[in-house]
Amino acid sequence: MSSMVESATQVRDTAGLSAALEAVLFTLNRPVTILELQDILQSTLPDIEAAAASLGQALAGRGLFLQRHQDQLQLVTDPTQADVVRRVLRPEYPSRLSPAAYETLAIIAYRQPLTRARIEEIRGVNCEAVLESLEEKGLIEETGRLDAPGTPRLFGTTMKFLQILGLSSLDELPPPPQSASTSS
Amino acid sequence: MSREVATEVERDPVYLVRTSAFDGPIELLLTLAQRAEVDLGAIPLASLTDDYLRAIEQERPPLDRLAAFLVIGARLVQLKAAALMPEAQVGEEEDLEAWEDAIKGRLEEYKRFKELAESLMRRHASGRFTFAGLLEPDVIPQARVQVSLDALASAFQQVLDRLPPPGPVTVEMEQVSLADKLEELRQMLVRQPQLNFSAVFRHSRTRLEAVVTFLALLELIRIGEARVAQDGAFGEISVHRQERTKHELDG
Repeated sequence: MSSMVESATQVRDTAGLSAALEAVLFTLNRPVTILELQDILQSTLPDIEAAAASLGQALAGRGLFLQRHQDQLQLVTDPTQADVVRRVLRPEYPSRLSPAAYETLAIIAYRQPLTRARIEEIRGVNCEAVLESLEEKGLIEETGRLDAPGTPRLFGTTMKFLQILGLSSLDELPPPPQSASTSS
Repeated sequence: MSREVATEVERDPVYLVRTSAFDGPIELLLTLAQRAEVDLGAIPLASLTDDYLRAIEQERPPLDRLAAFLVIGARLVQLKAAALMPEAQVGEEEDLEAWEDAIKGRLEEYKRFKELAESLMRRHASGRFTFAGLLEPDVIPQARVQVSLDALASAFQQVLDRLPPPGPVTVEMEQVSLADKLEELRQMLVRQPQLNFSAVFRHSRTRLEAVVTFLALLELIRIGEARVAQDGAFGEISVHRQERTKHELDG
């Protein structure tokens, strides 16, 4: 038997860490970054990755669902339970977006992070208004600035983007389009 | 070379350019400009297109001819723009091909994203969302925001103000029962579980009737069969039907 001090500093096994991760995500009830979790769980990045994978598997077929967006994790309800949750919660999500919004979302989802100029190059039209509206809805956000003249904003999707599509991570999106002629 | 091109297009030019600096088929103008044998700087492209637009108003050419002009015109603008910016050198014919490839590639890329957008839309429309717990502030239904009594009172005042002014005094006993209004309001909410505040008074013909209707609404709120909500400060107040919980029925 190891002493209390020793066991506290010992690396927990994956099952234990996965249970701790579940408890923390449940309590915080918001997207939590891996970096934050390292601090909270006093653990290393590979251990947290393993714990997250194990938690995701353990939740298969359950009412809760582990969502991963880039370096953020969140515990949410399973997409198959959307109807019953909607009945109790009556959330006010936008029911439909415009075709322009879906196009823009698709481009950002597959090519993130990218600038407005690049999005406009693909869509061939001005995207200022649609980007503003998507940002307002919390489906995209500024993820940084491009290191180029004018340091334009870079856009990426958000956890909420996964939530309105019921995806566990961006990897679940349909296969991405092959990059067209590498002219730029 | 330029003579070959000239004979080829001479039979059926897309458009005959008539300017002081260049006089001939527009195809030839493009070829010469690409070889820097003609100075595009001396040719006003804006008035060239104006002339063309005027010409096609007289006689509308087939679509492929219009498209051909568009392609040549765009290329001329690109060449001229490049000439004004010494950094961006535009090459010769291979460049036109590369340019066409780039356009084609971009159209294909856009088409693929359009398909992906449709699959995102279908996925979104299926409604299989995931939800965070209730602590997440933006999933708490907005309708739970309470309306202050003052806002409710002033909304009612507006309803009163909108009623026609009282006519000549007629002393007549008016029968408006609270019970009737209560039932009427209940039926209204059954038919339409969410109403605008002003719609509640749609049928009120007199001040007294409006007052009793308002009392009936307050009563419904008190016993938990209705609640009122407001989108924000000065927003329209809405009235919602609400099921009485067992607890409230007992109490």
